[in-house]
Amino acid sequence: MHNIGTVIRFEVVRAVKKKSFWVMSLMFPIIIAAVAGIIYFSNKATSEAQNDASKQKFSFAITDDSKLVSPALLESFGGKTISDKASGIDAVKNKKFDAYFYYPSDVSKQKVEVYANDVGLFDNSRYGSVASVLLTQSVASTTTPVVQTILSNKVGFDSVTYRDGVQYDGFKQLIAPGVFLVLFYILIATFGSQMLTSTTEEKENRVIEMILTTVQARTLIVGKILSLVFLGFLQAIIVLTPVIIGYFLLRDKLELPNFDLTGIPLDWGRIGTAALIFVLSFLLFTGLLVAIGAATPTAKEAGGFLGVVMVLIFGPLYAVSLFVSSPETTIVQVLSYFPFTAPIPLLLRNAVGNLEYWQAGIAIVILAVTTVIVMNIAVRLFRYGALEYSRRLSIKEIFSR
Amino acid sequence: MVMANKSSQAIISIRNFRMEFDGKKAVDNLSFDVIRGETFGLLGSNGSGKTTTLRALLGIYIPTSGELTIDGRNYEVDNGVRLGYLPEERGLYKKESVLDVMTYFGQLKGLSKQEASQWSLAYLDRVELGDKARVRVDKLSGGQQQKVQLGVTIMNDPELLILDEPTKGFDPVNRRLLMSIIEEHQQKGATVIFVSHDMSEVERLCDRIILLKDGGASAYGSVKDVKAKYGNKSLDDIFVKIYGGKDES
Repeated sequence: MHNIGTVIRFEVVRAVKKKSFWVMSLMFPIIIAAVAGIIYFSNKATSEAQNDASKQKFSFAITDDSKLVSPALLESFGGKTISDKASGIDAVKNKKFDAYFYYPSDVSKQKVEVYANDVGLFDNSRYGSVASVLLTQSVASTTTPVVQTILSNKVGFDSVTYRDGVQYDGFKQLIAPGVFLVLFYILIATFGSQMLTSTTEEKENRVIEMILTTVQARTLIVGKILSLVFLGFLQAIIVLTPVIIGYFLLRDKLELPNFDLTGIPLDWGRIGTAALIFVLSFLLFTGLLVAIGAATPTAKEAGGFLGVVMVLIFGPLYAVSLFVSSPETTIVQVLSYFPFTAPIPLLLRNAVGNLEYWQAGIAIVILAVTTVIVMNIAVRLFRYGALEYSRRLSIKEIFSR
Repeated sequence: MVMANKSSQAIISIRNFRMEFDGKKAVDNLSFDVIRGETFGLLGSNGSGKTTTLRALLGIYIPTSGELTIDGRNYEVDNGVRLGYLPEERGLYKKESVLDVMTYFGQLKGLSKQEASQWSLAYLDRVELGDKARVRVDKLSGGQQQKVQLGVTIMNDPELLILDEPTKGFDPVNRRLLMSIIEEHQQKGATVIFVSHDMSEVERLCDRIILLKDGGASAYGSVKDVKAKYGNKSLDDIFVKIYGGKDES
């Protein structure tokens, strides 16, 4: 294994020299930034348009059967009063007024009616805005600020929950261990294809015989896997760095929520468990994808198996509510202990706090043993499938050699 | 041909080697030795088992039965034999630069990065590829790629040089260059196993030969002895006679 450093260096350097690595790595933060930007500017433009529309002067009249609209406020808005609804509607039709609002006697049961001359799809919203503001401000002027706050649903709540007598905030608790779940998802989703094709290259380039007589198959495979682990972390840093920098630079401008990172609880037991599950799961699936690549003659053929592996890894996401609410059900237990479906259930359950340490221990042992077996199979496949340039190795052949 | 440092000790020993693929016999009960320091010709028609024998010797194939050893042991990458192997199936990492690929293989063969890089640049100059060091391998012609691969094969100054049809795809100029490189290694005392269909090259380079037919040995010994056995005909004629062609002499 003394050549492992050389293999890792070679694999890492040639991967980061490829444009596709940087495109893949930077695509995620760029897409996130682009989507956030579109949403922000779209919301801003809509909000500004609505504000502009509501500020535009127009003539209007009202009939107030609710007796809630303040005459003084109506006057300040430049509105007039009309005795009945039919006259108001006629006044709009005859263009005597731009708009007419009818406030029914019980606004809790009946709708406020707005009649107006058309000024365009978006600008028509100004009529409803003025009708609403007129009513809200009229009522607000008759109540205390406390009542206004309650009615406008602006009361803040600060909850404290306890688990086993100790203060416990479920959502904050899941942040730190949950990071590993997100990291695993991103790495497998963006890196799976490269893992799969990392061993087909030697076959397709016909360099396999020279390699196998120069470096041990185990050294090469382990070196490739470790280089993928390293590249995975490098990619995670490349993905997260602009996101974090962007958050701190644009937090105020984009009105993003202010996360108090110091308030995030750090349960080192759960964080350690998550880290262990993450590393083993990543190694397991890297080994599995490398093994598939080693058993198939070309990258194209290997690609056909990627979908199957992805279903195994991400299929459990469809049962996410079960993992959170019913961890003792049979399906959750099976998915948590079957090594090829285990990563997401284990990481998720550990994050939400329903994975007991003894359960995590058993699952980690299963993951570790499976990882070692898969790695050995990957080496064996590479070693003996190496010269199968044009056909897939059968399972019988793999284990009979 | 008289070799420096040649001893009668076998560096390679193959005993009762048998190889089957899907129940079909590829090599059957083959036994021969290669003496340290000699140049040995492994000859035969297509499909006679030459490449299979080399692959089994180097641990790429597991033999169905028999014993194939180098220095008394099954070949392992790290068991101390300085091997240079130019396989029949040629290939390199195509998307990397020539220098990167050569340096990588040099490091895997035990050279430092600097040593491997310096050696590679000197070799590329020698084979008139000095201006291609930073060029991607797939931008080279087939013959140029062969030269690079030959460089990779010999860069650790191998004590055992196994060349499976090394002149395949070479023009006469490059063939001559290759022969001079092989002769240099002969002079240094390397053991050379040479697979070729060009009998004039074999006659010029080899001390001893084995001719394989249907997975077994049909002639084995010094070039002189084999020729004597067949009435001192040329190796070319002997080859034609053994492999079923019409003997015109």
